Amino acid sequence: MENQAAPNPDQKTPGVASPPTLLELASLFAFIGMTSFGGGLTAYIRRLVVSKKQWLTDEEFLPGLGLVQLLPGANVVGLSVYIGNHLRGPIGSIVALTAMIIPPFIMVCVLGFLYFYAGKTTDAGAILAGVTAAACGLMASMVFEAGQKAITGIFDVFLIALTFALVRLGHLHVPYVILIVSPLAIWWHRPRTVTGASHQEREEPR
Amino acid sequence: MIKTFTHLALLFSSLSLSAFGGGKVVLPSMHQAAVGEYQWMTDQQFVDLFSISMAAPGPSMMVVSLIGLKACLHYGVFMAILGALIATVSMFVPSSILVFFAGKFWDSWEESPWRHSIQQAIMPISTGLILAATVIIAKTSIHTVPTAIMGIVALGLMLFTKINPVLMMAVAGVISWIFLK
Repeated sequence: MENQAAPNPDQKTPGVASPPTLLELASLFAFIGMTSFGGGLTAYIRRLVVSKKQWLTDEEFLPGLGLVQLLPGANVVGLSVYIGNHLRGPIGSIVALTAMIIPPFIMVCVLGFLYFYAGKTTDAGAILAGVTAAACGLMASMVFEAGQKAITGIFDVFLIALTFALVRLGHLHVPYVILIVSPLAIWWHRPRTVTGASHQEREEPR
Repeated sequence: MIKTFTHLALLFSSLSLSAFGGGKVVLPSMHQAAVGEYQWMTDQQFVDLFSISMAAPGPSMMVVSLIGLKACLHYGVFMAILGALIATVSMFVPSSILVFFAGKFWDSWEESPWRHSIQQAIMPISTGLILAATVIIAKTSIHTVPTAIMGIVALGLMLFTKINPVLMMAVAGVISWIFLK
């Protein structure tokens, strides 16, 4: 049950230290939750869980990373569920996820109350003006980073524009936009290696 | 009140399963619901809460807690916390359940050529959605020459240096406090 995600059944003890207790699991993910900001997180978690604590090997960690990158939800959140389950089963998932969310949850609630009850001062307004402008720059940088990975041809530019137009001009909610655009996108990016290889075979002799 | 709780739960659980690439991707829908459909807050409040969640520790999706908090704030502090909790659970649990059960079938899927196809197909959609989110944030946050300069400098710093984004936002807050007060 706990090992159902292990890549090789013949890897019985793959150089991993004894599995952590639930308390150890909770404290590591609480630490990750409180020290994680924005991007580059997956590399950070890998360093902690694989290199430092040695709870998982790369052969166990990387399939989990591939999985959570494909599925919806933040990568950190998915990884906490995957790693928790891998180490301590379903309870481990719940413990890792909860431990990671609770400290930031308390933190943002405190900040939220401060904002609504004490935030109407000119000082707070001036500070927030700078923070929101910087946050906007941060979001714009994510557009560039995502675009760099996304654009492999002119059709990808069309898909980006179509998605943007459906949300901003069509005022459609994101789930509907994904339902509309993804069949088109998946069709365009469908596996073509088989036909590509047969073309090559046909053309090579000439 | 129960109606607000229901709206929060339905909104965020449906967005949870659409957040391909993280919470920022569904930000346009959060904005549309919180500012438009349900009128829980103003445009300015939405952008402020988003920035607070970005500057605070934790996964990028913590803005949902703040939306839940504001939606129930006029029912009192206790209900506001309950609203934040409902929003957070709705956003994090459905996608986590999916990860949990998909993990069991992942071994047989990992080598499939379709995996790469779907990954490559998701990318332009995520990019378009993040672009839409950026436009929403920019429309409210960039309204003067100094804020425009700060936004562009922040973009440059993120693209060309390895500066910690939280440090950058903190410095921007201090600069803005000194010069814009």
